[in-house]
Amino acid sequence: MGRRKKIVQECERLMDEPENIRNIAIAAHVDHGKTTLSDNLLAGAGMISDETAGEQLAMDTEEDEQERGITIDAANVSMTHEYEDTNHLINLIDTPGHVDFGGDVTRAMRAVDGALVVVDAVEGAMPQTETVLRQALREGVKPTLFINKVDRLISELQEGPEEMQQRLLSVIHDVNELIRGMTQDMDDIDDWTVSVEEGTVGFGSALYKWGVSMPSMQRTGMDFGEIMELERNDNRQELHERTPLSDVVLDMVCEHFPNPVDAQPMRIPRIWRGDDESELAETMRLVDEDGEVVFMVTDIAMDPHAGEVASGRVFSGSLEKGQELYVSGTAGKNRVQSVGIYMGGEREEVDHVPAGNIAAVTGLRDAIAGSTVSSVEMTPFESIEHISEPVITKSVEAQTMDDLPKLIETLRQVSKEDPTIQITINEDTGEHLISGQGELHLEVITQRIEKNQGIPVNTGEPIVVYREQPQQPSAEIEGISPNRHNRFYVSIEPMPDELVETIKMGEASMDMPEQERREALQEAGMDKDDSQEVEHIHGTNILIDDTKGIQHLNETMELVIEGFEDALDNGPLANEPVQGTLIRLHDARLHEDTIHRGPAQVIPATRNALHKALIDGKIKLLEPMQDARIDVPNDHMGAASGEIQGRRGRVDDMYQEGDLMVVEGIAPVDEMIGFASDIRSATEGRAAWNTENAGFEVMSDSLQREKIMEIRERKGMKLELPPSIDYI
Amino acid sequence: MLTFIGLGLYDEHSITVEGQEALRNADRVYAEFYTSELIGTSLEDLESHHDIEIEVRDRTGVEQHPEDILEAAETEDVAFLTAGDTMISTTHVDLRLRAHERGIETRVVHGVTAQTATSALTGLQNYRFGKATTLPFPYAHGAEGLPASVSNTIDDNRADGLHTVVYLDIKVDNEAATNRLETDETLEEYMTADVGAELLAEEYPDLVGVVVARAGSPDPLVEAGTMTELAEREFGDPLHLLVVPGDCHLLEADALVELAGADRDALDIS
Repeated sequence: MGRRKKIVQECERLMDEPENIRNIAIAAHVDHGKTTLSDNLLAGAGMISDETAGEQLAMDTEEDEQERGITIDAANVSMTHEYEDTNHLINLIDTPGHVDFGGDVTRAMRAVDGALVVVDAVEGAMPQTETVLRQALREGVKPTLFINKVDRLISELQEGPEEMQQRLLSVIHDVNELIRGMTQDMDDIDDWTVSVEEGTVGFGSALYKWGVSMPSMQRTGMDFGEIMELERNDNRQELHERTPLSDVVLDMVCEHFPNPVDAQPMRIPRIWRGDDESELAETMRLVDEDGEVVFMVTDIAMDPHAGEVASGRVFSGSLEKGQELYVSGTAGKNRVQSVGIYMGGEREEVDHVPAGNIAAVTGLRDAIAGSTVSSVEMTPFESIEHISEPVITKSVEAQTMDDLPKLIETLRQVSKEDPTIQITINEDTGEHLISGQGELHLEVITQRIEKNQGIPVNTGEPIVVYREQPQQPSAEIEGISPNRHNRFYVSIEPMPDELVETIKMGEASMDMPEQERREALQEAGMDKDDSQEVEHIHGTNILIDDTKGIQHLNETMELVIEGFEDALDNGPLANEPVQGTLIRLHDARLHEDTIHRGPAQVIPATRNALHKALIDGKIKLLEPMQDARIDVPNDHMGAASGEIQGRRGRVDDMYQEGDLMVVEGIAPVDEMIGFASDIRSATEGRAAWNTENAGFEVMSDSLQREKIMEIRERKGMKLELPPSIDYI
Repeated sequence: MLTFIGLGLYDEHSITVEGQEALRNADRVYAEFYTSELIGTSLEDLESHHDIEIEVRDRTGVEQHPEDILEAAETEDVAFLTAGDTMISTTHVDLRLRAHERGIETRVVHGVTAQTATSALTGLQNYRFGKATTLPFPYAHGAEGLPASVSNTIDDNRADGLHTVVYLDIKVDNEAATNRLETDETLEEYMTADVGAELLAEEYPDLVGVVVARAGSPDPLVEAGTMTELAEREFGDPLHLLVVPGDCHLLEADALVELAGADRDALDIS
């Protein structure tokens, strides 16, 4: 029997013992060493050879990942580890650290109960560290900390014991500040800060495969002095053999991360709003493998042989081949064709996958990342909210007409796999739009279409996605239907930021029970009466029905909403989406007969009324912004800050950190296109930088008209604004 | 001068003599057929019969861009045509008011409408009808199931003992409506009485309805039955409408039994 086969068998045996399972994710800022660490763990578990760990990057299976040296998709793997004489099954997800792929991280967190956060000892906690921690804590996922690249402190920076201790303590302090800040309002989490004494912090070098923690030092009898000496004398192999990284980390995982039986009772109320007294809630809390099947899909991937593979977390029951399962949001059932677990980059089919595990399933053709799949109809899980919205769009067209159907199919597939991608398909022109999180995100997607699907495509220049938002409350505006028999009276006002944030985070939505939505809206500052009259939420916009007892309005409301949605999706300035607007419907006059208040009457009436109201509210164009942080040697600091200021940006802070200067600022995404190569040449390649999407800001008045016209021209719209827009 | 002329119910002969004269004397003729149609004739036959040219307007051309019609009417004799009567059901009063705003003289030449034909063919008395209503195709309105305005109208009329005319939808020729079609639906041109009865049967399975088909044609049809029964039958070529009788006077009941084959025991006779 092969080694691999043995491991699969052992995994299958352990799957049925939820107390011995740990579902974990490794997450970090880009380049802090997640994937190298994952490979160490695989090698430690005997899944890849010891020598190649770190160089092999077994988790980076896509060709482009190995080329770019970064992780793009979240990758799954299962392994076993013996801790305190008991064998444990560890289901691990490696997640991307680059900001463009944040959607993958959020989805991965839904499947796991513990997050091993990796931080580079030299760089310390970085913006993405904060983001991944927030993503984990929002999902009720417990963090532990591994401080990587400690070898550099010793060998490269030649730090002494005290200096080094100071540095490590300050990293731990920063991470704990973040955890404390994020959890202080969470009643179900008491203290999730990490500490060396408790063993929830590890140190080491993923590259040289050694690691230590307080418990490991007690076990091996090695102290820091000894470690520093071995490292400094280049005795890294000995260091690896005496205190291997994988043992230290996997022990920490088994000791400090909750098993599914402990984790699910706390996580289910956070991620599922169904009846907590139902039998289903009970079987999910108990991780009951004999209960009804409940499976949350967190990822869809394409397998050239098996087709679509849905992976995710089994919360209740057991997945088996041949089951007929419901998929949330779709009618009918899908038949499970195979179930399996992940070993490295490959799937291994198994007979069944019980509750508490991460499974890979084929045959769920209607599922998308985020679907709830179950053997009985049920309230779906909370949608997996990703924090950032798409900010960049690129057009794609097939080079030959013959590839068109295949391209459309591929694009649909892409949006199914990655919900942070938005696809607009235009079957008439053949020019399709992909919107995503950043330049790199889109570049990777289009490359995959070309390479994996073999479809040669032409892509356009990246285009920034804009927003429109009114700046002040409007007067009450009358909207008249084409036949003039129907009238609608509408006003708008800009919504306070806190309310916008609440909607963006999915904390108030039309999917949730009315009472809960009201409370969430009131908490965000909405007036009590208003919160009771919310008729619809679209994007970050709210419709409030202030009318009283108008006959026939109920049966017409769907059309009213359709007109409003159309007006919001295509704002009056440049057909860009409208955000953060509160719409009030004050009154309506309707024709007696349905025929005379059909779609052809109501939709244009409400659409036009809303556009007029938005213009009366002095609607303006907003552009997406990016926070940038540049670490650069002192003598290149001027060049680095110039790169931000020269891009209509603003430098907010400059300070010394170690031997480097840190420049922090903010600039429009539009201007940041091409930043990577410019900063490289401006600083002779000496700068390390990071950018993060920072929401939308109103463009300065002097640029409004020019930018609006530029967008209108690109979209083939009329090049004159309605005369009522006289304030731009 | 803007003259509104009703073409009547069925073909080029359904117009009144007065209407025919006004039509033939017009300098310019516009028509709309999006609210109803003359089933028994074509546009070409209508034009050659009266020896005129007709410019047909769609909904947008009448409701949103009527400027050229009005402009022409300022200097010429313009006729505006619809099937039935121009001011009943299809309320072109808006166009007339716009003409008045511009100081244009207007005139209405009446046509025979489904409303009078219904009374005439069923024997139900004109005095005993309540509010009329239209039953739209399910994709063309914003409600779940039967729109409340339809069932409320029927219920209110019946509570007062009154009859209800239920007009049946004809194809809505606009994108907003057709976009709302489910993928497995095809766009029917006219709602037939069996389809209408089936929609009504969801709420009123045992209620008696009377089908009036092809009013104004050489072979009109009048047939009574419960909504469930009517949903199973076929009534031939369009146009169709449905009547829901309220309390029937003795003579009305006699007429429904004799002319529509109604089951006397199923009627509410006062």
